[in-house]
Amino acid sequence: MNNGVLLSGKSLSKKYGDLEVVKDVSLSVKAGEFICLVGKSGCGKTTLLSLLSGLERPTAGQVMFDGKDITSATEDELALLRRQNVGFIFQSFNLIPTLSAWENVALPLFPIAMKQQEREQRALELLEKMEMGHRTNHLPSALSGGEKQRVAIARALINRPKVLFADEPTGNLDSATGDAIMVILNRLHREEGVGVLMVTHEVDLAKTADRLIRMRDGEVIS
Amino acid sequence: MNLHYLTNELYYQKRRTLTAILGLSIGIALLIILNALSAAYRQAAHAPLKEIGADITVQRPGDVPKDLTGVVFPCSAVTIRDDQVKKIEGLDGVRGIGKAVLLWIFDPNRAWIVLGLEQQNSVGPAVLRSAVTEGRYLEPGKPEALVEISYARQFGIKVGDTITMANTSFPVAGLVDASRAAKIAVANVYVPLEEAQKLAAASSQVQSVSPFSPADVNLLFIKADQEKITDLASALRNIVDKKATIGTPDSFLKLLGSFFALSDKLTMAASLIAIIVAVLIAFKTMAGNIAERAREIGVLKAVGWTNHNVVSQLLAESVIQCFLAGIFGLVLAAIAAFGLSFMNVSIPIPWDMSPTPHFLPGGGDQIFKTLRLPVHIPWILAGFGVLLSVVIGGVTGAMLGRTISRIKPSEVLRHE
Repeated sequence: MNNGVLLSGKSLSKKYGDLEVVKDVSLSVKAGEFICLVGKSGCGKTTLLSLLSGLERPTAGQVMFDGKDITSATEDELALLRRQNVGFIFQSFNLIPTLSAWENVALPLFPIAMKQQEREQRALELLEKMEMGHRTNHLPSALSGGEKQRVAIARALINRPKVLFADEPTGNLDSATGDAIMVILNRLHREEGVGVLMVTHEVDLAKTADRLIRMRDGEVIS
Repeated sequence: MNLHYLTNELYYQKRRTLTAILGLSIGIALLIILNALSAAYRQAAHAPLKEIGADITVQRPGDVPKDLTGVVFPCSAVTIRDDQVKKIEGLDGVRGIGKAVLLWIFDPNRAWIVLGLEQQNSVGPAVLRSAVTEGRYLEPGKPEALVEISYARQFGIKVGDTITMANTSFPVAGLVDASRAAKIAVANVYVPLEEAQKLAAASSQVQSVSPFSPADVNLLFIKADQEKITDLASALRNIVDKKATIGTPDSFLKLLGSFFALSDKLTMAASLIAIIVAVLIAFKTMAGNIAERAREIGVLKAVGWTNHNVVSQLLAESVIQCFLAGIFGLVLAAIAAFGLSFMNVSIPIPWDMSPTPHFLPGGGDQIFKTLRLPVHIPWILAGFGVLLSVVIGGVTGAMLGRTISRIKPSEVLRHE
């Protein structure tokens, strides 16, 4: 790790056919830093998040995670990197509809050889922390939007990640519920030192972040 | 593979699970019932020969005598020489031989169909022993006769009477209900083989058409190893006559004319079609189901599942689904088999195996052996059906799993 930098992207570009979505972007994220990527819809925020998290490969440029170049890592190496170091929070929650709340939280642990009891214990602790202790056995269809996102946050935390990637985490929630989710993310950052890289188009949500990065037309403008 | 995830997926996605199970189970049921039906027809084709304790009958066709008077041979059964019988006894696959002499005796006031049989042989018409309804069965060394019960009624013949055929008298030892025993090799009167041989050898009509010595016969019943019946049929023709009538389960099967009775190759082709249908159904429904789960797979990969983890999970789901489909298919096939087992099948007996002269009343009528179609599902077929279903599940799951596991999570999670 250099100067506390956990994650960095250097001259990142991403093209889909002739369309260049991310254009020569360089940025770094320190361990435990809360960064907000803001910009209008279609400006390339989500693509940049995907590049930095290893979900997407850049057309050009390099991504370093914890001192390792992950640009040329294999699919399985990237999957293991995500399993061990990264948590994801999506706008649409992306919970598995056939699994209960605690099973959704434990989902990243399913491929790991460990006792089911241990998985459940860890999932229940996190759900308790998210004030969801009373909804642990409910299917996602029985949960409200805010509850689903709390389950998704607990899932993102189950592997004790170094950084959380949050893509419009309040986008599908009403403002009160969205605020509550932001309180949780801020608390995780402040009290537990979890790094957060959050994509949003609402500048107001970014006011509590350590750093604000603005994007327009695939480029970082400030 | 996570068992909890697997069972939840199958339980909560009932539509997907049931569609996949139903689709494949129909294909598997079709495969099992096709083969069970084919086996049932094959088994049914054994019935006419089995009821006289044989697997093969041998007759040699010959000429019709000039005058139908006295003792004659039916033109469908002329002399099979004793040396030929001895050669047949030595053939590989022959487990036993029953010898008989079938005669038509035209006396001035009556016509007799007479069958000379070996009293103690378990192969051939001696199975009539169990069909004696009155009196007793033929005893060794005694020149006596059994009379078919309906013939006896027609002509008022009783146990203890003496009948005279071709100037030879035979005390009636008993009456037999031949209709309970067999459809082939039935006669009006049954006498010891040696008595029939004497009658045939003494007949100038017989000798004029087909020279006959007292050790010869004109009907053979052979018990054989099942797998050698086809080879034996051809060897028998070589020994007896190229034109010999060799009755085998296969020859009866051909007479049935049913699609299922036609040939092993057709059953095999129909089975292959059923398998292909089953595979296509499984592949199509599972491909649809897995495509619906692209987003879910994207989530799994995003949270750190490797391609191998994804494939293992989908493979296990597919195998379990297909196993259930195999079991359900087996149940469907068992229900169908139960229903089909109430069906009757009528096996026509060839005219040359029917001893009644065609010019006598009823002689030209087609005779059938009618029995319930013995449809049942052997364990090996049931096991094969379920195993095949599991293999289809494994192959389908592995192929579709490998394909879907290659999707990029960013592509399926992008459009929120």
